[in-house]
Amino acid sequence: MKKISFRDDVLPMKNRLYRLALRITLNPAEAEDAVQDTLIKVWEHREEWERIESIEAYAHTICRNIALDMAGKAGHGNVQLNEELRVKNEESSMFNVQCSMFNEFEQKERLSLVKKIMDTLPEVQRSIMELRDIEGKTYQEIGNILKLSESQVKVYLHRARTSIRQQVDKIEKYGL
Amino acid sequence: MDYKYIEQLLERYWACETSLKEEQILRTFFQQEDVPAHLMAYKAVFDVQQEQAEASLGEDFDARMLQIVDEQSTVNSQPLTGWRRRLRPLYQAAGLVALILTIGMAAQQSFDGSEKTEQTQYAEADSMESPVQELAPLPEQQAALAAEQLDSLNLTR
Repeated sequence: MKKISFRDDVLPMKNRLYRLALRITLNPAEAEDAVQDTLIKVWEHREEWERIESIEAYAHTICRNIALDMAGKAGHGNVQLNEELRVKNEESSMFNVQCSMFNEFEQKERLSLVKKIMDTLPEVQRSIMELRDIEGKTYQEIGNILKLSESQVKVYLHRARTSIRQQVDKIEKYGL
Repeated sequence: MDYKYIEQLLERYWACETSLKEEQILRTFFQQEDVPAHLMAYKAVFDVQQEQAEASLGEDFDARMLQIVDEQSTVNSQPLTGWRRRLRPLYQAAGLVALILTIGMAAQQSFDGSEKTEQTQYAEADSMESPVQELAPLPEQQAALAAEQLDSLNLTR
């Protein structure tokens, strides 16, 4: 088995871990802390690296748990964040009424709405979407990280994509 | 332009029936600027993905992380220093032995050098005490006397 090095194998995972943590905490500072805690924890268990089947899945599982912990503790803060976002979105959509002739702006508005839709999905769905659509992982790999079966992963992903599609369609139909 | 293929892919994407490769095709398609109006709303979905994929941590994070790990490894190697600490009496003992040996050797060397004359041997033994030096000839005379006596004994035989 290949020797695992912190600098060459563990540290380069930082951005993937960061994006997963960010999807869970929805807070960049917390996500960064989560990645730091994750890497420290992985480092502390370096004696076990040789026995771990996939260091990547291992690190992602730890990262998700730490991020979940943070999101749980700061649950209230995240609600506030979403609330701020909602108010901001309402303000800008009022502004949008005046400027909807500009396609570019419309697309920007769509983008922020899709982001909002994604952020309001349940955490499992958010995490799975992140791992699939952004990191390009297989259902099996995602299952390993989230301790779910492949079919469970698929069910959650299906729910996530369906609700995004429905909400996007609704917005298109009834306007922004 | 016919978008049937993309529409089909998209339909299968929502149903989670696309492979990773097909999802990449969709992503590439939606990256271009001139997406037909009826697909613009879905472009946003893939654009958001693209945007989220860019979230990353800077170099300063690496530096901080490596520093933390370095500190951790020195903390973890403390048993090694403890082990060294336990060996310290041994080092001291070894040092002491080395010191004694050096002194011994030096003493022996000077002893060897003085063996030629009993006079200096005495001088060495009772370091620098001049009275001894004055007394020194006496045993020499005694020894000469004894030798003479022995010689005479041999002769008589």
